[in-house]
Amino acid sequence: MLRVPLALARVAVMAAMQYRASFLAEMAVGVLAAAGVAAPLFLVYAHVPAVAGWSFEEALLVTAFFLAYNAFVAGIIEPNLGAVVDGVRVGQLDYMLIRPVDAQLLLSFQKVAPAAAWELLASLAVGGVALSRLGPPTPMHALAALAMLGSGVAATYGLWLLVTCTSFWFVRVDNLRFLLGAITDAGRWPIGVYSGWVRIALTTVVPVALVTSYPAMALLGRLDLELALGSVAVAAASLIVSRLVLLRALAHYTSASS
Amino acid sequence: MEGLGRAFTAFPAIQRVAFAGLVAYRAEMIIWVLSATLPLVMLALWNAAAAGGPVGDYGQVEFARYFTVNLVVRQITGAWIVWELNWAIRKGELSPRLLRPMNPLVFNFAETMAALPFRSMVVVPLVAALLLWRPEIAFRPGVPALLAFVPSVALAFACAWLTQAIFGMFAFWFEQSMGFWTAYFALWSLCGGYFVPLDLFPEGFVGAVKLLPFYATLGAPIDVLLGRAGIETVGLQVAWLLALAALARLCWSRGIRRYGAVGA
Repeated sequence: MLRVPLALARVAVMAAMQYRASFLAEMAVGVLAAAGVAAPLFLVYAHVPAVAGWSFEEALLVTAFFLAYNAFVAGIIEPNLGAVVDGVRVGQLDYMLIRPVDAQLLLSFQKVAPAAAWELLASLAVGGVALSRLGPPTPMHALAALAMLGSGVAATYGLWLLVTCTSFWFVRVDNLRFLLGAITDAGRWPIGVYSGWVRIALTTVVPVALVTSYPAMALLGRLDLELALGSVAVAAASLIVSRLVLLRALAHYTSASS
Repeated sequence: MEGLGRAFTAFPAIQRVAFAGLVAYRAEMIIWVLSATLPLVMLALWNAAAAGGPVGDYGQVEFARYFTVNLVVRQITGAWIVWELNWAIRKGELSPRLLRPMNPLVFNFAETMAALPFRSMVVVPLVAALLLWRPEIAFRPGVPALLAFVPSVALAFACAWLTQAIFGMFAFWFEQSMGFWTAYFALWSLCGGYFVPLDLFPEGFVGAVKLLPFYATLGAPIDVLLGRAGIETVGLQVAWLLALAALARLCWSRGIRRYGAVGA
């Protein structure tokens, strides 16, 4: 059952490790990117003790999850779904579709960009600092946070897949992915910072708060059952809708030769 | 820049062509412009921080005003030459452009200027939405502020373009030169006033950080328009413009020789 995903992961890492110098150069960039996300927080909290009910350390937890989300997008989403967009345009998608494995699995998880590992490490470091000052979470809270992280990743993955699927109908969607990246930048702050319809949008339509704020709230023991179930519902809806749209898109795909 | 006189006469024609090109891909252009919404994300954080009272001398309205002007200035001073140069040098696409009777850099500068009317049009709905959200941000700048803003934003435009051109030319020497640009961008976001008004830096650093080139390309015109900085800031921008222009010229003359030596 797990044989195909594991084989895919091994080949992906091997392919990426061929370019060692580039891998190291990207390390510095990854660390800088992490510093860039955290820096405004240092400046804000130099002036005020709390923002929207979140202390500095609590906001750093959100930063940690945001960096992890960025690593997921840069490491898995971009290399794979970006290749789908190109594949549709030049007709190379055919080679993926003829393989005897579920197309969605292959399209989504065939490649890994290992440079994203640096951002993942930065995420762990920031999270570690925050937790060492807040005190360790209870096992229950840690489990809840993991569940929320999984649900948030699923929700955002569905959205990225959905945006990618539009390339089967419109050829130029590279920029649409860029736009989605810009919008999900809003997930870097605790969700309490936003109000009104922006908050609703960030937890449903562009559910980036589910992958950044919700796991942090779970770790802090602030997430009630209602919000947790909401997150799972959004994730399920996102996965189902994107799967259905992908199946339609593949049926609509007319390959390079036909 | 011996061809500058000739470039001047060709400017209107280049601009017409470039503008037509932009209008042909208008949906794409609108998406690119909409992607520059990071100032709004920053506004959300500072707006929440100022909910209990002003931060420094910035209240919620001042923050909204600062980041609205930020959004507009960033849009007006936007360039893309770093990506274009990097690509053209590495792929050898620079060679045919060198055959033209005009320096490719000057050509790109004209194209960047041609994008200006379009870029400023696209930002209108964003500003309108902000005004709808918080009508108090509308303000009437004083005549001196307005008079200083025009040269200040023009200088910021030129400095931002020159900086990008210099980083783009790094591709003459380095394979992975875009990493330098990413690093510069991270520093610029913080020290240029993109993420935070520089007046909110820790007290001892405010004066020093404003002397750096980052401020000259974004924060300076914002502060000038808001009446928080005066004509001396424009003077500093002029100094940076001269320094950056000299550096860009040096990079070009050295780099282009190296480019030829590679065998392209």
